[in-house]
Amino acid sequence: MTTRDLVFVVVGTITAVSALLAVTTRHVVHAALWLLVSLGSLAGCYLVLGQELVGLVQLLVYVGAIVVLVLFALMLTRAPIGPQSEISTPAWQRALAVVLGGATSALLAALLLPLLASAQVDLDRPETGTTQIAQAVFGTWVWPFELLSVLLLVALIGAFAVSRLVLHREGEAA
Amino acid sequence: MTAVAPAAFQQSNVDYVAILPMLIVASAALVGVLVEAFAPRRRRHVIQVSLAVVGLLAAFAAVVWVAVDPNKVGHKGLTMGFTDGTTNHSVFALAIDGPALFMQGSIVLMGVLGILTMAERFGGVGPDAFTPSGASTPGSASESAAARAGALTSEVFPLTMFAIFGMMIFPTTNDLIGMFVALEVLSLPLYILSGLARRRRLLSQEASLKYFLLGAFSSAFFLFGTALLYGYAGSVYFGDLSKAVATGPLAMNGLLLPGAFLVFVGLLFKVGAVPFHAWTPDVYQGAPTPVTGFMAACTKAAAFGAILRLAYVGLDTARWEWTNAVVIVAILTMVVGSVLSVTQTDMKRLLAYSSIAHAGFILVGVLAFDRKGVGAVLFYLVAYGFSTIAAFGIVSLVRQNGGEATHLSQWAGLGKRYPLTAGAFAFLMLAFAGIPLTSGFVSKFGVFSAAIGTGGATGTTLAVIGVVCSAITVFVYARVIVLMFFSDAPDDAVEVVTPSMATTFSIAIGTLITLALGVLPSSLLDLADRASQFVR
Amino acid sequence: MSLSTAAYDIALSLPAGVTGLAPANDNPVADFSDTPWWVALIKAVGVFVYLLLSTLLVIWFERRVIGRMQQRPGPNRNGPFGLLQTLADGMKSMLKEDITPANADRIVYTTAPLIAATMAFVSFAIIPLGGTVSIFGHETPLQITDVPVAVLLVLAVASVGVYGIVLAGWSSGSTYPLLGGLRSTAQVISYEIAMGLSLVAIFLYSGSMSTSQIVAAQSSLWYILPAFFSFAVYVITMVGETNRLPFDLAEGEGELTGGFHTEYSAMRFAMFYLGEYVNMFTVSALATTMFLGGWQAPPFIAAIGDGALNGGWWGLLWFTIKLWMFMFFFVWLRGSLPRVRYDQFMRFGWRFLIPITLAWVVAVAFIRGAQLGFLGQGTFTIGGRELSVATVVIVSIVAVIALAAAWIWDDKRAEREAAAEFNPPEEIDPFEGGFPVPPLPGQRLREPSGLAVGSGAASREPVTSSVTSTLTSSPVKEETHG
Repeated sequence: MTTRDLVFVVVGTITAVSALLAVTTRHVVHAALWLLVSLGSLAGCYLVLGQELVGLVQLLVYVGAIVVLVLFALMLTRAPIGPQSEISTPAWQRALAVVLGGATSALLAALLLPLLASAQVDLDRPETGTTQIAQAVFGTWVWPFELLSVLLLVALIGAFAVSRLVLHREGEAA
Repeated sequence: MTAVAPAAFQQSNVDYVAILPMLIVASAALVGVLVEAFAPRRRRHVIQVSLAVVGLLAAFAAVVWVAVDPNKVGHKGLTMGFTDGTTNHSVFALAIDGPALFMQGSIVLMGVLGILTMAERFGGVGPDAFTPSGASTPGSASESAAARAGALTSEVFPLTMFAIFGMMIFPTTNDLIGMFVALEVLSLPLYILSGLARRRRLLSQEASLKYFLLGAFSSAFFLFGTALLYGYAGSVYFGDLSKAVATGPLAMNGLLLPGAFLVFVGLLFKVGAVPFHAWTPDVYQGAPTPVTGFMAACTKAAAFGAILRLAYVGLDTARWEWTNAVVIVAILTMVVGSVLSVTQTDMKRLLAYSSIAHAGFILVGVLAFDRKGVGAVLFYLVAYGFSTIAAFGIVSLVRQNGGEATHLSQWAGLGKRYPLTAGAFAFLMLAFAGIPLTSGFVSKFGVFSAAIGTGGATGTTLAVIGVVCSAITVFVYARVIVLMFFSDAPDDAVEVVTPSMATTFSIAIGTLITLALGVLPSSLLDLADRASQFVR
Repeated sequence: MSLSTAAYDIALSLPAGVTGLAPANDNPVADFSDTPWWVALIKAVGVFVYLLLSTLLVIWFERRVIGRMQQRPGPNRNGPFGLLQTLADGMKSMLKEDITPANADRIVYTTAPLIAATMAFVSFAIIPLGGTVSIFGHETPLQITDVPVAVLLVLAVASVGVYGIVLAGWSSGSTYPLLGGLRSTAQVISYEIAMGLSLVAIFLYSGSMSTSQIVAAQSSLWYILPAFFSFAVYVITMVGETNRLPFDLAEGEGELTGGFHTEYSAMRFAMFYLGEYVNMFTVSALATTMFLGGWQAPPFIAAIGDGALNGGWWGLLWFTIKLWMFMFFFVWLRGSLPRVRYDQFMRFGWRFLIPITLAWVVAVAFIRGAQLGFLGQGTFTIGGRELSVATVVIVSIVAVIALAAAWIWDDKRAEREAAAEFNPPEEIDPFEGGFPVPPLPGQRLREPSGLAVGSGAASREPVTSSVTSTLTSSPVKEETHG
């Protein structure tokens, strides 16, 4: 086991555990913070795998923008932030969720782990540099890439359509 | 890291005529956004509706142009990509072929009817089905302030156009990544549209949230499956996938089954197949009725187009791996959909379960694994789509105290007071049931005969179960008809409001096409049959 | 318009019509092959000490310079020239009582200042402080590390640093910090967008995101000239990004007490303080690297002795001088400008800086495309120099568009100003709204008719205060009794 393997295992474990904590904590701001840890350590995974560009973009977009906006939304709403007994999931549902989730994970792990245990990937291969990523994005994947811009525009308009509040003054609501 | 000279950049070759239909719809949507920003509020509704309809009709003309190809240029085939000069490996993002063009054309036409029903104003300033202020608490002061200020939600038209754009790409993509992005482009506007109902806002918001959460969940399944399939084949292009299965990279064989399964889960969610159907009744009930009709017709068509491409082009060689799972899903879908529709008391939920049952029948056609099956599925989607838009259009007209009356008991005696409306609805019910002389009969006959013809013992079993389930649903639809024509109206009887020309037109067209495809199906059957050849 | 001339210079400085102008790859030029881990560690510790000392110094520097600007001496008691004042302050904050509010979320409350302080240091890892030097017999660049996407690291780390602010604001469990944290976060993430966009022009010019490559690419011409607009945008955004005056809205004392760190005291407060100043050094160092040629000597000095003063340890000197120019600029701003209003600040960022920087990036893309021969290879010769047709055409188009836009904007502004000019009516009723209003300059008071207030009724003098009080009190009384 090389140092890299070790670091990857550590970072990957942090990612998984914090993702789990994000969905199990009853405190909504803590959930957002665990999500932050999870996304940040995912960037760490990319860095360990030698993909600086992907890792840093992950940090910039998910950690730097998306979770900040989540926290913003939480702070701007008047909804109670702490644990709420009346809206928390009943115990049997949680137990069921644990069983189902655990079973699915076990199934996938049983399938994938033996298969990929011996797989070897050369992490320092030169065809994954920034230039190559740029060529892939603007050459091979230009169509999905452009479609994504449409998707973002749709999200923008949708957010506007949903969140618009009409002002009371005449002539100002448009 | 060693420095390597980057390989020469290769540009995508694009046949702009072949993708013209999609470009037209996308640009109409973008212009719609600009209209939203700059047009005066009084004229915005009219501009938006006419822009959307004209754009869709132009797109249909473009589809016909590409399909007929009068100049014999050969627009059909793979486009939006290139063949790698060094490895001679083709990467093309779009497959313009018969099924894709057929789906695009029918989605665009059904989209026209959908837009026309959404545009219904009943004399108000904005579209009647949509709330002017989606974020406000139902019944709050800011909501009534929005209503007083005459705010309107004309963003729904660009959003619908974006959804149609995504739906056109969905069955056309030739790779899993493009398919995923198209799935998101078509879903996101629908999540928003279903939360914008003017009346019964809480139901609508709940529907939107459920649809969004479950949709995001299924997208995650799809993406995970894509990753596994990429691990299996080393490529996400359907052609490479099929080739990889045929030649068989044994090292990663274990990834094929879970990958295929998870990708299918993502797609089957969109068509509402059991056990991924949980969202369907709630969303169909909560969403604004015209949106429900649009969603039921167009999303189903687009998603089945994608399923067909995945099943016949991408994973065709791996059929033995996943067929059994999909057979079980098909059986479950037919049985659950038809049995649960018996117990429904709400018209929109009834139609939702009916749509689940229909998804099962269509899956039977998909599992025929034959060109005939493809043709039958294409025909079924068109026939069902037009009927369902008309049916939901009629549901939106039956009202009590201004709001829609969707409880079944409220429909009692409707036939005696409004024979024309009730008659049209009864006819559509017969079409859903699959009674001869309606399009429903022809389409069901098509998928079941294809299943029996080429599906072997499994196909025959599926067809038998399908026929039994159809018989169950006949009971449901017959009950509705009996209720409308042979019971007495309650004291606080509902009324059928008089719609505008646009809605009348779309209901009439939907009903007439249901009739025409029942009486004279041969031309469309012929077209669907000719369009059933996939390109790889 | 200097845009055309600047881009013209770049066009002249390069042989025209050659396609291979861009560096063949974007990898760093800094060579770390002869750097054992302990040398890297020494360099890291060195950078840390450099930053700590600079912070100690800059706080004193700021107070002295502002003192001079405000005609007072500033701190001058502790040590020579008061140099040890910061050290004394630091000792004091360490010994103070550390208070945690009862409502605070304790773990997050403690983590927030740590994030703010540590993230400020991280970015310095990729800043080249000098050329290649020899440390204990190893030839190594004066830079901790470099990667092909080094500048993205600065942006990513800055975006993580925001959490120090937002979490501090939230976890204090109190209103002012929450509001201050929200404001400050909105400010930082808004200005980060414009900052990132302004740097894109540099990436286009240098063809790389590696800092050592960018510095190397500036050996003939500093990017402050061809990318002058990016420089202007960057300088504005770096002030916004570091929450400094005139953009220190998060701690507007009049509105929010101390902003996000209202509840913090002692060492945890000192951490925020440290983070803020190190952040100033980071953004200044990035500006130096991106626009001012990094550690390279100024052109005329570089020419001395065939580049003897341009490289090695000398680089550290030039770098430090350039860095402190920016620090002086920060202090100067603080000494001379008042705080802007929050809505104006956000509008400026979103509606002016971001769109115009986007347009600028597109223009630079075209200029670079023309220089690299993507838009045609035609050339012509003027005065002995060969020029690419495409470059000249593109530069002229950009210049014309910029001029036209500036002209239209100026016209519009003049119109708006004319419309907004308020001509007060010649005569006002001083208590029309029910309370006394003083007249504007040049305005006349309307005579109160109907109420006889003595003989001064015909006079045009401003009404005296005693008269006003009687006038206002009498109708109110009538109303309450009637």
